[in-house]
Amino acid sequence: MTIEPTNLTAQLHHRAAGNPPSTLPEAAISNCFPGLEFDVRNVWRRMFEGIELHEAHGLVTRGEGDLEGLVGLELVRVGEARLTLAVRGPTATAEDALLDTTFIEWSNALADVLSTSVGQLVTCHFAAPPERPDPDPPIVATAELRVRPLMARSDVTNEPLALIDEDVAEPGELTQSLCSPWQNDYRECGCYYWAASRPDYVNRESTEQGPSIGNNWMDRSRQPKAYEPDNPADPRQLDYVDLFRDWQGLLRFIVGGRDLE
Amino acid sequence: MIAELRILPPLAIARFGGAPTPMDNYDAIVDPEEPLGYRRLQPVETLEVDVDSGEIARAFVPERLSFSEGGEVRPVAPFLELWALTDGGQLEPLTIALLQDAGATPAHVRWRVQVANRKAARRTGDEADRIEADSGELADHARHLLDGRCANFWPGKSIPFGHVQYVKPSAAHPQVRLRFTPAAGNVYGASRTRPAAGRPADPNVTDVVYDGRRGRWLGHVDTDNTSTVPAFIYRGDSEGRSVGYLDDGCDGIVRASLTVAGRTLSAFGRVGAGPPTYAPDALPIRSVADELEQALFGPTVTPSEATLERVEEIVRRAFETVRLMNTAAMNRGGMAAHDRGTGRRADPIMAPALVDDIAVENLHQSLLAALRSGSAPWFADALRDFDEIGDLSDRGRRKMPAMMRGADGRHLTLTRRQIDLIRTLVRGPVFTDPGGEAT
Repeated sequence: MTIEPTNLTAQLHHRAAGNPPSTLPEAAISNCFPGLEFDVRNVWRRMFEGIELHEAHGLVTRGEGDLEGLVGLELVRVGEARLTLAVRGPTATAEDALLDTTFIEWSNALADVLSTSVGQLVTCHFAAPPERPDPDPPIVATAELRVRPLMARSDVTNEPLALIDEDVAEPGELTQSLCSPWQNDYRECGCYYWAASRPDYVNRESTEQGPSIGNNWMDRSRQPKAYEPDNPADPRQLDYVDLFRDWQGLLRFIVGGRDLE
Repeated sequence: MIAELRILPPLAIARFGGAPTPMDNYDAIVDPEEPLGYRRLQPVETLEVDVDSGEIARAFVPERLSFSEGGEVRPVAPFLELWALTDGGQLEPLTIALLQDAGATPAHVRWRVQVANRKAARRTGDEADRIEADSGELADHARHLLDGRCANFWPGKSIPFGHVQYVKPSAAHPQVRLRFTPAAGNVYGASRTRPAAGRPADPNVTDVVYDGRRGRWLGHVDTDNTSTVPAFIYRGDSEGRSVGYLDDGCDGIVRASLTVAGRTLSAFGRVGAGPPTYAPDALPIRSVADELEQALFGPTVTPSEATLERVEEIVRRAFETVRLMNTAAMNRGGMAAHDRGTGRRADPIMAPALVDDIAVENLHQSLLAALRSGSAPWFADALRDFDEIGDLSDRGRRKMPAMMRGADGRHLTLTRRQIDLIRTLVRGPVFTDPGGEAT
């Protein structure tokens, strides 16, 4: 068996002999808020040489030398790439109101910059953290910063590898912003983004009346089949302490949508 | 000649479990006749490592899959293989024979594993709260404990992060590889007085390790904009103060090196340990692999990359998440509740009739059928773009993927590369002849 050294897709997805599919990065949630296996947002924290960013938004948490003055400001634009957006929608009194501002997660917001400008200087625009929602905050500082490659490079060809570079994340940094302990968030968090790994609605059955019936995965008993939304305070559901003490004995694997007996 | 070493996979995920036997290997197979059916889990060749010798004792196909053993979960313990870039310009597995050709033996390969848990340090900003384990350089085939130590732990205390073992190459299994077995997935505690010997008084924790007088983790409160997002994701008391709980999760770096002909070659890979995949026949809609592919290849695809197979897989993964959600409940809670938190008017996201689970399944079935018949250009417009996450209008919230949350805490969008892949396919010519001319 051989792999083309430039076939990075094959290397990224290589399943070593004996490894189940759950060992692969395609089995790991990346819409991290904060995530299960990794908080992959951490990969972009050091994308600009000389500064470090918060994993989830533009706050500068560290600056080297002259860039120390950027600490406490927020990176809001890189070249033409906006990192923030207005959040708009209807309220009780208006059909289109400014509700908030939001940072766009790094992977999408910086995809063009990363694709075109690795190793080059780009103009970074910084604003003070706004006291109220402001999609276009006044720019208070700019800096020409070099884009750091996120991927390690081959010693032989200097081509990128399918490997997060050592300078990007030290040991412990890909998981540092996950919950401590993980069981707490596993119980706390709603299930509307990671149900493929942490199920929500199981043992589902259609009914003649229309709506299906089934169990919340966290139900202590599977009878009756009456789904209630996640609520650790509901005595019918597992709570935090249950998972701290015996998650292995209490959580059930789900195959085919049903408890694996 | 060996020009370069690489560790594959470059990012390996281990999964907690306290059972003594690691999880067996399996495939998750899609039935082409039923593309939205559950993936069929089929046992496949599994490697059993002899604890003492470090050799692969047997390669076998289990009769049936069992995710637990004796009431405990079987850990997923990945192998990391060492590959060599050789004279032929190809990557091939590093084996005893390849080493011999280079004038070396398996004993010349050195490994080192450094992993850490920085969750407390991330919150407190105190480097002394980093919990770190270093196997040191190893070339033998014994198990090496990854003993997580921390400056702010009580003397003699540590958190085990699992162990690693350089699998001894043999005639039957000549490849060079290392196995990482993660920890059990336990909770550890903190105290301000020296913990007594024996079982901790707190039944939630396996051991009391953290010295709450030396460090700030016990009693820490997230207070400002440097906090994680979301904040307060630790075990806290009623005032939001950390009770000092830690876990045995970690991530880190695996290094390998080999000195041949006076030249030292080296490589590294990454590992992490997280919870089990509790629905092993499902995959997440947006995965770490998708992020890394976008970082590697950019936000757009070439037409040849936009295959029906790839687009179907994205739709399948979306359905695999939705299928395990109570969509009727999530239509009122979940992201709808998030939106209410911004001050948005309290409306369900979809018309209730559309989120019945049968209706959701029918929608995805129709979508797959339309993709296969080349009649799904509408799908391109139904996707939420990355710069539409702030659109909480009725129309904006109904875009796809629906009712899920992204890494920015807003309605989920796919990676731009995933979106471009879908749009390139559905907006492209329906048929292409072998010469490449659209017809």
